[in-house]
Amino acid sequence: MKNLKIILSTFVLILSITACNSDKTKNTAADLAVFQCPMQCEGDKTYDKEGSCPVCKMDLKLLEASSKDMDTDEISEASIFNLTSKWHNEEDEEIQLTDLKGKTMVMVMIYTSCKAACPRLVADMRNIEAQIPDENIKNLEFVLISIDPETDNPERLKAFALENGMDDEQWTFLQGTESGVREFANVLSVKYKEISPIDFSHSNIISVFNSGGELIHQQEGLGVDNKETIEAILQLTQ
Amino acid sequence: MKTKVFSLLLLCLMVQSLMIGQTKDMVLIEGSRYIPLYGRDSTVVEVNDFKMDIYPVTTAEYIEFVEKYPKWSKSKVISLFADESYLVNWKTDLKVKDSMSTKRPITYVSWFAAKAYCECQNKRLPTVDEWEYVAMADETTKDARVKPEYNQQILAWYEAPRTEENSIGKTKKNAWGVYDLHGLVWEWTLDFNSVLITGESRKDVDKDSNLFCGSAAVNATDLMNYAAFMRYAIRGSLKARYSMKNLGFRCVQDIKEQQ
Amino acid sequence: MKTLKPIILSLALIMLSCGDSEKTEQHSDTAEIPVSREMIAELTSPPNVPTPVGRRKAKKLIVNMEILEEEGELTDGVKYVYWTFGGSVPGSFIRTRVGDEVEFTLSNHPDNKLPHNIDLHAVSGPGGGAESSFVAPGHEKTFSFKTLNPGLYVYHCATAPVGMHIANGMYGLILVEPEGGLPQVDKEYYIMQGDFYTKGKNGERGLQPFDMQKAVDENADYVVFNGSVGALTGDNAITAKVGETVRLYVGNGGPNLVSSFHVIGEIFDKVHVEGGDLINENVQTTLIPAGGAAIVEFKVDVPGTFILVDHSIFRAFNKGALGMLKVEGEEQKKIYSGEIREGIYLPEGPGIQNMPTTNEIVESEIPAKSFEEQMEFGKQIYMQTCFACHQAEGQGIPNAFPPLANSDYLNADVDRAIGVVVNGLSGEITVNGEKYNSVMTKQMISSDDVANVLTYVYNSWGNSKKVVTKKMVDDVKKK
Repeated sequence: MKNLKIILSTFVLILSITACNSDKTKNTAADLAVFQCPMQCEGDKTYDKEGSCPVCKMDLKLLEASSKDMDTDEISEASIFNLTSKWHNEEDEEIQLTDLKGKTMVMVMIYTSCKAACPRLVADMRNIEAQIPDENIKNLEFVLISIDPETDNPERLKAFALENGMDDEQWTFLQGTESGVREFANVLSVKYKEISPIDFSHSNIISVFNSGGELIHQQEGLGVDNKETIEAILQLTQ
Repeated sequence: MKTKVFSLLLLCLMVQSLMIGQTKDMVLIEGSRYIPLYGRDSTVVEVNDFKMDIYPVTTAEYIEFVEKYPKWSKSKVISLFADESYLVNWKTDLKVKDSMSTKRPITYVSWFAAKAYCECQNKRLPTVDEWEYVAMADETTKDARVKPEYNQQILAWYEAPRTEENSIGKTKKNAWGVYDLHGLVWEWTLDFNSVLITGESRKDVDKDSNLFCGSAAVNATDLMNYAAFMRYAIRGSLKARYSMKNLGFRCVQDIKEQQ
Repeated sequence: MKTLKPIILSLALIMLSCGDSEKTEQHSDTAEIPVSREMIAELTSPPNVPTPVGRRKAKKLIVNMEILEEEGELTDGVKYVYWTFGGSVPGSFIRTRVGDEVEFTLSNHPDNKLPHNIDLHAVSGPGGGAESSFVAPGHEKTFSFKTLNPGLYVYHCATAPVGMHIANGMYGLILVEPEGGLPQVDKEYYIMQGDFYTKGKNGERGLQPFDMQKAVDENADYVVFNGSVGALTGDNAITAKVGETVRLYVGNGGPNLVSSFHVIGEIFDKVHVEGGDLINENVQTTLIPAGGAAIVEFKVDVPGTFILVDHSIFRAFNKGALGMLKVEGEEQKKIYSGEIREGIYLPEGPGIQNMPTTNEIVESEIPAKSFEEQMEFGKQIYMQTCFACHQAEGQGIPNAFPPLANSDYLNADVDRAIGVVVNGLSGEITVNGEKYNSVMTKQMISSDDVANVLTYVYNSWGNSKKVVTKKMVDDVKKK
């Protein structure tokens, strides 16, 4: 009987550690962004999401960017910090995405043995980084996530970082699990497919998240103008 | 002590898999090699043995799931994991409209929700390759793709309105013993986002080196298999947060190697 | 839709009120035409067209298009599931003027089974908007474009399998009027030809599924105007009065067939050939390619019923490509008399002609030499490995990746070039007078491949035509 109890209680314990059970209380933190008609057609009326003014049809403009320092542990519904997947960085430390909280993040998914577009994507990331003033860099994290977690172990990621001159504080490389990577790609709307054991085909998307883990901006394509991405970053890291 | 806890854990895992990972309503699918519509560089893919749900997940089963895991209820689900149409046709968090039969396949669910559902059953979503492999079968053959009537049957479904209101198990059982892969609703797959099409299908036959890195031209092995084309098109148009009227899911399970 | 009417009316009023003060400026670069104000576009189903743009200024034009998959009647007793833009085949007519900024929202009805998108031939941009508008059922996508070129353009769905989406009726026309608008006429109509492929033969009753094989073989069961047999005949015929000028916006959705558009008993006074600027006069039959359009204008001088056909004539009388224009008014005997006499005529037997045939001889290809093979393999590697940064013509990317075309840095030292490929390169270098400071990682390719790719580079784009051998590469590797 006692045994059964133990079994049952352990059983409950196990249930509570399976992936489907990381039950977080629903969070009702209001969105931090406030939008208003640029003509103030409706006086001081504000909205909490993008749209157009019902009076003059002009696009609402953002009044205040999300505040830089998120207080408390509140995270919004749309935040990637709701993901509980586990990752390893290039220093072989185990982390969760929430560990990156508090900094603006620029993310891209690549793999190190890639010969086609990834060098360009990496160069795009370097270009973006080079155009951000030093005082903003400290609030920034550039994150490169491998879509080939089998090959790209921390050691390999570290070597890649060194080879590409991306080993400063602000660069992070992540190795996940196959399902963690698939899930994360879905959050970014990145598509990818294994073509051969060493080759992948994938979308070229650079994404910017605010310090609360909300997706703010995405640029798709290679060698596109980084201007908007950089503007988004500067706005978030002022 | 450690070993004791460990063996207990192991025991529990077994109990759990007995209690939850019930394999009633699943059939064994014997793996094999085949050429899918969009293979890896149009080569053969290999599918291992696995078990598949005979039916798509029903509304009744999904109600049970939501009762157990309220975080997936209509009002509690977070926007990262589902868009506004999630369970839009339910009356409340735990009730569907009275007019709705609970034998219907569950639809209006996102990929995240479907994935969580399967994981809570100790199962997972099928991969595109697995799903397509089982779906090649008609009532008598395991690869019916060359039969004109196989494609016609699938096509007839595209033209039939409101099929998502039908109950599960009303279509013909295929050679594996699986129902409703065609003719009821679309189904989520684990790696639906491995379909690299932009929607600009004329360009998709060539690799787009600006949008997609790598040497994967999306080449169809069988240009006449347009019923499959449309499945790939729907996968290419989806995002994981989407919930749609005509989109449900079913789960599969890996075969554990005998200890 | 009803609720939109007052809005459109009031917008029209606004337009009229300020229209008087407008000067017709001629912009040489249509991309620079400024837009003022928003307006919601009036969309019409065939055969009607929206009000002409007249002299209005360029505006931000809001177009909301809904996609519906619904059953309709192809001909008596034959049902077909159409996929439509705006619930009609062809889809709603969109009317813009040059310089408009069109904000286009494509909504895919939740009851639909399939994803769709739209490629507008009037768009200057990738896929004509197809990429930006790929939308799953129950969702909508918005993109915007500026109309740069006046003309009459086809739009259609471009989701795989494209042919099937078009064959099911997913096409329509968008008109871009020139500055100041097209000249005024009395009547305007919207006609679009399409070919349909059904499982059953022409006329076989019931719900007919689409037949892919027939579509591939271009063996149409139905060729029709405006989506069904009889859409422009009997009570559905278009009308005019004697003395009026009629303008037809004629499109051809295909998917396969070219239309030889002809109005029996009329001559087109003016044809905007292929929907463009070129105006041809006094034309009997005008050719409209699949995925193309034409604007035809003619004055109707006498009353009667004028038949619109695709002059590939079996299509007109056996497959449905036939419409009617009914003209009312006074007889004009001087122009057309009607029958005057009847008589008997005995003809001579006709001769039979034989068609000459030709046989072409195909020349065999010349086998490749080894240097050429090196070039061939080298090019393959280049396109796989180097192309992303150094670009297809070796032009590189300014301020990021140095050029390989006419490159002084490359031509100065072949061993150094081999070294860069084998060992990578970082730090500042100067190429053709420009400084570059980027990172090239070492390339994991075999010595043979290095030799081939460098040979290809040296013998392309005005470089020094060196040939690099595997031995040269190995020597550099040993250093």
